Amino acid sequence: MLILAAGAIALGAGWVSGAAAIAVLVIMFTSVVSIVWTAFVGGLETRRALAPYGLLKPGIIWLSLFFLAPLWSMLEMSLSTKKSRFDFFPSFSWHWGNYATALTDFGPQFGRSFFYAATATVLTLLIGYPLAYVIAFRGGKFKSVLLGLVAVPFFTSYLIRTLAWQNLLADEGPIVGIINKLGVERVFEFLHIMDNGRLMNTPAAVIGGLTYNFLPFMILPIFVSLEKIDVRLVDAAMDLYSTATGAFRKVVLPMSLPGVFAGSLLVFIPAAGDFVNAQFLGSPQTTMIGNSIQDQFLRQLNYPVATAMSFVLMAVITVSVLVYAKFMGTEELM
Amino acid sequence: MENNNNVSSSRGARYSRREFLIRSGLVGAGALSLPALLAACGGGSSGGAASGGGAKELYFENWPGYIDTETVKAFETATGIKFKYTEAFNDNNEYFAKVQPLLAKGQKIGPDIVAPTFWMADRFIQLGWAQKLDKAAIPNAKNLRDDLLAPSWDPKNEYQLPWQTGVAGIAYNKKATGKDLKSVEDLFDPAFKGKVGMLTEMRDTLGLVLMGMGKKLSDIKTYDDAVAAFDKIEKAKSDGQIRAFTGNDYMDDLNTGNFAACVAWSGDVMQIAKDNPDVHFVVPEEGGTSWYDTMLWVAGSENKDSVSAWMNYIYDPVNAARITAFTGYFSPVKGVREELVKMGGEAAALADNPLVFPDSNSVSRLQTWGSLAEAEEAKFDERFASITGA
Repeated sequence: MLILAAGAIALGAGWVSGAAAIAVLVIMFTSVVSIVWTAFVGGLETRRALAPYGLLKPGIIWLSLFFLAPLWSMLEMSLSTKKSRFDFFPSFSWHWGNYATALTDFGPQFGRSFFYAATATVLTLLIGYPLAYVIAFRGGKFKSVLLGLVAVPFFTSYLIRTLAWQNLLADEGPIVGIINKLGVERVFEFLHIMDNGRLMNTPAAVIGGLTYNFLPFMILPIFVSLEKIDVRLVDAAMDLYSTATGAFRKVVLPMSLPGVFAGSLLVFIPAAGDFVNAQFLGSPQTTMIGNSIQDQFLRQLNYPVATAMSFVLMAVITVSVLVYAKFMGTEELM
Repeated sequence: MENNNNVSSSRGARYSRREFLIRSGLVGAGALSLPALLAACGGGSSGGAASGGGAKELYFENWPGYIDTETVKAFETATGIKFKYTEAFNDNNEYFAKVQPLLAKGQKIGPDIVAPTFWMADRFIQLGWAQKLDKAAIPNAKNLRDDLLAPSWDPKNEYQLPWQTGVAGIAYNKKATGKDLKSVEDLFDPAFKGKVGMLTEMRDTLGLVLMGMGKKLSDIKTYDDAVAAFDKIEKAKSDGQIRAFTGNDYMDDLNTGNFAACVAWSGDVMQIAKDNPDVHFVVPEEGGTSWYDTMLWVAGSENKDSVSAWMNYIYDPVNAARITAFTGYFSPVKGVREELVKMGGEAAALADNPLVFPDSNSVSRLQTWGSLAEAEEAKFDERFASITGA
């Protein structure tokens, strides 16, 4: 198993080429064949013992080749330096300065990303939980239809959905028009949702876009955890003189927390790295770290700093997820 | 019941395990043939390069909205060359980053001709990514405007010839501004807070602001010469004056009035103004930048004859006029105005359109960037990138 993983990484990260690459493939192949052969000639017990390895194989090869190998190359790149501005092959030099640059030059973008992503996560929870609740408990025969409707936005391209928001939020667009007709623009300005009479290209537009685009990722896991709840438990709580609120707070909510936890992760992690919403709904003052990484990669060609930024992003997300898991209490999730 | 379940599931498991083992054998066989596959891929690309000599082909990658609908077909009919035309060029730096991985390794990119703006063409040539043109096969090059020939970085036009030229100035939506604009300073008018757009094309945005401060672009040699203009743009950004830094996608925002005013390219505005009379373009009184996009024969391409045939074809004033009638940019070819008049109708009206044939007064206000030394250009790019914020 390790041989396979190491072989796939070696191939993917470009450590080996030509004859050596073929040698690595032969080694990988031999290891696969030997396992298969052992399983065939061995008895039932041998096969039973080998089964887990066999089942792991596709995943291991896939992830080693397409996740671990690129990750390794990126790690190497993030510690490299460019000899000149158009140097396409930065050389590895233990240059930790890239990480310093990533943190010092892009602090505001990191901060903004996490703030926007966290706000969007809370908003998706506030919108998604009641929706999932109604679908799960009051959906009746329309349950699957309603659930299907939640997934319908996925039928359209992510980009098109975001671009559609541009029209809705435009200065001469319908939403700003309604707000102005009602004469409540001052309220929106006070809440910092509008800025100087516009909705487009504001932080609110970016957060709104993130909330909208990631909402289904919150609804679906919560729905799944709510649907598993036996309604008789709520009846039992009522029989024991619980109020409806009490029953929800003590029975339904704790049992749905795994869904909330999964949903939060599914929303927060991609939202923190998202660049589409900030690109199309934001302004130069709302750039998120995803935009900065994209810019460093694709326009500035600063691969070392861009990869360092990606690793910082990964590290911060991992830590915040671990803290969150601790805070949510893993036992309650089981 | 419980027991029964167990039995059936374990039977199922045994069956699927056997099937699985057979399948993993297949995967192994697949792995064995992988080197052969890789070899085939490698061979495929070199084989493709060699086949260039057979059927005549041409692939031109250009900016969007930069050619009319007929010329591509007309060229195919006239020459029998199989012509592929795409519009993947959206931003000079972005395109550079896209092709660098291949060109830096000496590999072919798809297109035979690409259309970088003059300063990027300079970089392509310096990096050895362009091939010498077969000038003898492009006799129509004699029709080119003299001011576009022999730039300091390609004094004999060995590597590049112009595609279209244009001007960056200020575009405004009169419905949003309520008045006519004429100065670069108008972009910094607090009345337009949050409604001003600027281009990610540094030389155009920075150039206008520099001229607005009374500088001459040909005098700008070092980062220190331009730092005041950078500071001014950065301040406008943090004040919320600037709504967005855009590529070609500013056209929608200008059209709908999200941008009251923005830095813009003349031809784009002409195309919008056809349908929206509120949208105007002006070369600011302090000056506008003049630029041109080139055609380069990319390193690795072997379709030399097709490349020459294409360049020769579009430098014929008749064909050049047809392109101008659609794009609204300044043609690099002499005699286009006369051809437009001959075409009659809408095209003839363009001959009097100041956006396509600017009056001498506007032309006298145009300025061009000189070459920046590599180390200085790096500083410019870095600062500009930190301001545009992405």
